[in-house]
Amino acid sequence: MDQILNVLVMGLLLGGVYGLVSVGLNLIFGTVRIVNFAQGELVMFGMYGSYYAYNMLGMSPYVSVFLVAPAVGLLGVLIQRLVIQPLHNESNMQIFATFGLLMMFQNIMLAFTRGEARSVGGDFGTVVIEIGDIKIGAVRLLTFVITTAITIGLHLFLTRTITGKSVRAVTQDKRAARTMGINVEKTFLMTFGIGAALAGLAGVMLTPIYSITPGVGGNFILAAFAVVVLGGLGSVWGAYLGGLIVGVVEAFAGYYIDPALRHAIWFLIFLVVLIIRPAGLMGQVGAEEVGFREQN
Amino acid sequence: MNKTNASRPLAERAAAVAPEVSGLESPSTALWRYLALMGLAGLPLVFLAKDPYWLNIIAFTYLMGGLAAAWNIIGGFGGQFSLGHGVFFGIGAYATAVGTTTYGASPWLIMVPAALAAAAVSMLISWPTFRLRGPFFAIATMAFNEVAFVLANHFDSFTGGPRGIMIPFKAGFANMIFKERWQYAVLMFAFVALVIGVSVWLRRSRLGYYLLAVREDEDAARACGIDVLAIKLKGMALSAFLTAMGGTLFTMYLRFIDPPTLFTLQDVGVKFALLSLIGGVGTVAGPLLGAALIVPFENFLRAELANALPGINLAILGLLMVLAALFMKRGVVGAFEDLVAWVKRKFGGRS
Repeated sequence: MDQILNVLVMGLLLGGVYGLVSVGLNLIFGTVRIVNFAQGELVMFGMYGSYYAYNMLGMSPYVSVFLVAPAVGLLGVLIQRLVIQPLHNESNMQIFATFGLLMMFQNIMLAFTRGEARSVGGDFGTVVIEIGDIKIGAVRLLTFVITTAITIGLHLFLTRTITGKSVRAVTQDKRAARTMGINVEKTFLMTFGIGAALAGLAGVMLTPIYSITPGVGGNFILAAFAVVVLGGLGSVWGAYLGGLIVGVVEAFAGYYIDPALRHAIWFLIFLVVLIIRPAGLMGQVGAEEVGFREQN
Repeated sequence: MNKTNASRPLAERAAAVAPEVSGLESPSTALWRYLALMGLAGLPLVFLAKDPYWLNIIAFTYLMGGLAAAWNIIGGFGGQFSLGHGVFFGIGAYATAVGTTTYGASPWLIMVPAALAAAAVSMLISWPTFRLRGPFFAIATMAFNEVAFVLANHFDSFTGGPRGIMIPFKAGFANMIFKERWQYAVLMFAFVALVIGVSVWLRRSRLGYYLLAVREDEDAARACGIDVLAIKLKGMALSAFLTAMGGTLFTMYLRFIDPPTLFTLQDVGVKFALLSLIGGVGTVAGPLLGAALIVPFENFLRAELANALPGINLAILGLLMVLAALFMKRGVVGAFEDLVAWVKRKFGGRS
């Protein structure tokens, strides 16, 4: 029983990590339907930003996040303006272009760092809280709390603020949104920027528990797509739930079946959901087509 | 012209109407153009037959050109953007490696059954995924590629796992292992000639027209009475069949395979698509042209820059991908066609 509980907690905390990595993509892919394969590399940039801030300026990740996340967000705005916007109705070309960005970013960092893995020193990662027999890493718990807070914040932003409502309006019908006086291009720019900044934030938050390599984004990108599709495109709480499901499945599969197969198992779950219910668990049926139907 | 029986193939009838209107040349013109293209593609092989460094690049260019052309059948003609062709490539490769090392069979005998198996697998996994459109299809195929990677690593009693499989050097035609590089180059040339030949045939066949119709507008194609799913499955099976054949040739050329060489997206699944895109997606010659441009360029970058700055060659390739997506959506072939049209407009006058 304790064992199951331990694995469950481990899975939930891992789910927090996946959820955190996915919130940005949920906004970019789930809400404005941009297929951004370079999202994992934005997480990677966040991690390196945090590393350099720690090593050169002595900043703790929890301070440097206020510097790094906006910087990555700015990079996102540039990507949106220069690469995505000219391709806004061509999802296949978006796949190509963002995959090209993925290769570019990953290998520029590889050339820059010469492939050595880095990690942020200090003892952030080693603090463990014990409740009974259950051990919880403090950083992972904090990650979980941050994921939850961001999810709540994003939900409120999209449903309660006029800017958030304009984001949803643009998703549903660009032309109608334009006639309502919404600046569609600006909304896309902003949404992509926020999504990128959230990826940067995720990267910073993960530095105490993950070692930093140029290829680290590859660990997250398919997981993030899986989480976003699993939970339901554009559904903020769906992505949160999707993250937890992926985390728990991975933990249980890793513990009870075979650690080597854990990724295959959640990929299979992802594929099954994608095929049976492409709108995801909490997405509206038909949501997967919204935003692709339109031509202008 | 007076025989207008409906039983004649669609392509033939279309060609009979008016070549300029249908955009389709007569069968003999098509054959001549195909032979001219392959003749042109064969020239480097003739001129550089003594240079082992270049022969290696040429052989690889033919192989990748053939694989890209195989991807182009479903990705270009059919518009189904698969990133999971590594799965079929891997089936061909593993069947060949296991068949030759464990059972001592000749790769020639393995090639076709392995390709048939890949075609069957492709239909099996595509049947549900073809419900998905656009990026969702691409992501799903990418997930299949990852599953294949994990499985190939895991079932090491069959695949050798991360250690891979090494095929011992036993030269001989029956073993598909050759002493001379040019023999491999000829083999790869035969492969690309086959795949391009299939593309030429397909472009003129009923199946090819249906694939184009599905790509242009799935709903309209369905409204015209086309069984969209069946057409997509046929196109995918053909594409997977040829891809697996390429997997066999790749394995016998390298004589070593492991999961990363077969399933790394940027070297396999995405590379096929990239070569087609650079050359001209959905055109007959585009994939080969893309390979002819990118494979030697990549070799050059790797030789010149990779030692100084690891990874910089891939970064440049990535940049190229972004630029191609932005400014050359129809590839080199498309850019050339645009140029011809522009010259005609500018200097052709009103005639």
